[in-house]
Amino acid sequence: MFGIKKFLFGEGPNENLPADVKAAVTTWIEGESAGLESSHFLTRYVVVDIASDGMNPESDHLTGIAATVMHQGIVSPQQSIYVDLTQSTADDAAVDRQLAAFLLFIGKSPLVSYHVAFVSTFLQQLLKKRLGIAFQPRWVDLAWLLPAMFSEKSHKPMPLDDWLTAFGLDVGEGRRSPSENNMLLARLLQMLVVRAHAKGVDNVDELIGESKASSLLRRTR
Amino acid sequence: MTVNQEGFAVNAQQENSGSNGGVDVGQVEAMLREEGRHRAAGNTQAFLAKHAPFNKMTPAALQLFAEKAHIAFYPAGSLIVGPDSGNVRFFYLIESGKVQARQAGEVTVTEYSILSLGAGESFPIGAVTAGRPSTNIYTAVEDTFCYHLPAEDYLTLMSTSPEFNLFCTQYIASLLDQSRRQLQAQFAQKASEQQTLNSPLVGIGARNPTSVLPETPLRTALESMSQLGIGSMVVADAEQKPVGIFTRSDLLDRVVLADLPLNSPISQAMSAAPFTLNEHATAYDAMLAMATHGIRHVLVTDHHGRLSGVVSERDLFALQRVGLRQIRQAIESAPDVEALKASAADVRQLSFNMLAQGIGAEQLTQFISALNDALTRRVIQLNLENHDFSGIDWCWLAFGSEGRDEQTFSTDQDNGIVYLVPEGGDQEALKQRFLAFALDTNKDLDKVGFPLCKGNIMASNPQWCLTLDEWRAQFSKWIRTPEPVALLNATIFFDFRPLYGKSELSDSMRRHLLSQASATPIFLQAMARNALEVGPPLGKIRDFVTDLEADFPGKIDLKKYGSRIFVDVARIYALAAGVHGTNTIQRLRLSAQKMNIKGEEINAVLDGLNFIQLLRLQHQYLEGEPGRQGDNLIDPEKLNELDRRILKESFRQARKIQSRLKLDYQVNH
Repeated sequence: MFGIKKFLFGEGPNENLPADVKAAVTTWIEGESAGLESSHFLTRYVVVDIASDGMNPESDHLTGIAATVMHQGIVSPQQSIYVDLTQSTADDAAVDRQLAAFLLFIGKSPLVSYHVAFVSTFLQQLLKKRLGIAFQPRWVDLAWLLPAMFSEKSHKPMPLDDWLTAFGLDVGEGRRSPSENNMLLARLLQMLVVRAHAKGVDNVDELIGESKASSLLRRTR
Repeated sequence: MTVNQEGFAVNAQQENSGSNGGVDVGQVEAMLREEGRHRAAGNTQAFLAKHAPFNKMTPAALQLFAEKAHIAFYPAGSLIVGPDSGNVRFFYLIESGKVQARQAGEVTVTEYSILSLGAGESFPIGAVTAGRPSTNIYTAVEDTFCYHLPAEDYLTLMSTSPEFNLFCTQYIASLLDQSRRQLQAQFAQKASEQQTLNSPLVGIGARNPTSVLPETPLRTALESMSQLGIGSMVVADAEQKPVGIFTRSDLLDRVVLADLPLNSPISQAMSAAPFTLNEHATAYDAMLAMATHGIRHVLVTDHHGRLSGVVSERDLFALQRVGLRQIRQAIESAPDVEALKASAADVRQLSFNMLAQGIGAEQLTQFISALNDALTRRVIQLNLENHDFSGIDWCWLAFGSEGRDEQTFSTDQDNGIVYLVPEGGDQEALKQRFLAFALDTNKDLDKVGFPLCKGNIMASNPQWCLTLDEWRAQFSKWIRTPEPVALLNATIFFDFRPLYGKSELSDSMRRHLLSQASATPIFLQAMARNALEVGPPLGKIRDFVTDLEADFPGKIDLKKYGSRIFVDVARIYALAAGVHGTNTIQRLRLSAQKMNIKGEEINAVLDGLNFIQLLRLQHQYLEGEPGRQGDNLIDPEKLNELDRRILKESFRQARKIQSRLKLDYQVNH
């Protein structure tokens, strides 16, 4: 396992980064998943959402990254972070430092999002370009897991707001910010881990397995 | 490298912080967290804005709540918090779903045993405020999201947001109200057990009455009737089955007028086939039978038909409730102290009924005072027949709890006399006459049921039988030199009220007192210091401190450590604010208006006081033996959960007004 990580994250940080950023990125690359992950309760999940100025990761840019922790069943605004990238061109070093801070915040915790492909591609592009790292964390994709775990509500993927409505959660009015969206994703995750446990899917690795299986199963259909 | 639960620590970077303008990755992370917290709180704020009391709170208060509150998910059927969860660490606010509150234990202490809570409702307010375990079991009945506001942040919010504070205060007040209703239900039950016409005959009238066999000679039967002082004799056979009854009217009609020899068997003179009822029949049945058959006695039999009791008309009358008007009339026309004694018992009974009918402590104590006043006035009137004070201005004064209209069932005498010496009159001779009159009156009051004052605060004590000028001088002296004895006296004598005679004299005393007291801050300060010497028995670890009375371990003196605190504080504020009333509730209400204390705040305080008073009444009535002096010592362990909780909240209110007093009078202990 450690060898694979070494292989995956083996690339070093960009040489032209400021020293403190370089050190932080190195710390992150060499880091291991923090703490215990034998159960959902003990696992530190980090829910991630992004804001961008378009839908294409190749040509469009990230304008914000939000992350919120769910740990021991609890979600708290206290355990949240927001990286504002709208003024990102002004000072490259400042942006790099913010991204390094984001890495420190998420550590090697499993990340949770809705439509991981979209979120992860944007993040990968940016982190590769700015910090010179291959960003390949463990992802849990709610878009695929929800139909697998709550098939009584829908057995195929639905738009996020439909899921929220199905669970009686308040979708709010207008567009949600990534931070606000994360708080809703986190609530879905809170419910999801309870259901997963009931189905015998007891830890993060199994959950990721379910997520992948569901994606394969439902895509091939 | 250091890794922790919250992502990666940043020690590797700190040494480089100087090289990039003083802000390193770790500091940036802290800033980004700040931003993240702020943004993530948005959802919570949106929720709070839709629910009372949060929608009335300031943006700063909402921000505090939203940033500090966690969100937890409870699937249907899961326990959220209960008595076994330890001290409650959070204020729970339901975001969505349904929560059921169920009382722990077998005894229902509130009128609800199961309560359903929905979105926007919060719990367990009492427990989180007190930092102790919840008394209820809270379970999610649907999938539920709850906000957890940590207890310390909850307390911060309580102290910084008046709207939130009011909400919680009112909630606690509603608990008080519930408990009061619960108490009333208990009283009602006890009252109905005692005295409705639905009671079974087995508990009414004489049990196992004397009976004679049918062949008993009349002479023997009459002799035993005379010996036993009874007006009728049951005639029963060898198996104790009643076959007749012989009454005084039978004696007249069938023996005397019929010239029946006294050696004839009683069966020849008795009324045969007497009316009997089974002992499970009700008092109402007996009353109906008496009315229908024109009889005065009903024989009561057990299930074998054997005689087990006799119910007379008089027994049934005693069952009927005594009314206020009858008691008043009885008091006002009582010919002697003996008759007043009976009325005093009726007062007690009537107070009990009123308690049962749901009258609060405030009204009840005033009511008891009113009837006790009537009793006292009648005792005075009766004694005035032997002591003539015509042409002299004088007034009988009540002090202490009687002076405050706050009598409970066990109140001893506290009284005095104020008088004016007529021009050219002999003051000493007049005083001796008043003392002689007072002594008789004090003794009679004792007979009627107001025990003599152990501290000799009675009109028959020359110290407290004074002219108007002497009283004024006495008050002035206490105020000018507030020594311990003076302060103690102030707590008794400054609560005076005219009971009989010229009330103008008492008014004059009051005006003098108020002008002197409010103009002497040193006195008020000394009173305040005195009042703060005893605090409510709230424990730091346990709920209550119960070892304050060495002679009664495990008990709390509800007067000394409860109601007296309110009374003392009220007195000081009343004196400072120039409030004429002596009643504590009146004093607090009126002085609050003048002293700019908020209405809600004072209502919570009064609820606390009323609850303590109600507990005292309950203790004296439900637990005391009838006719015996009740005490004020309760064992908090014996209270039910809800009462205990409310008692604690009531003590908190006591502490609250004490803190206020401490602030207002700059008392530093």
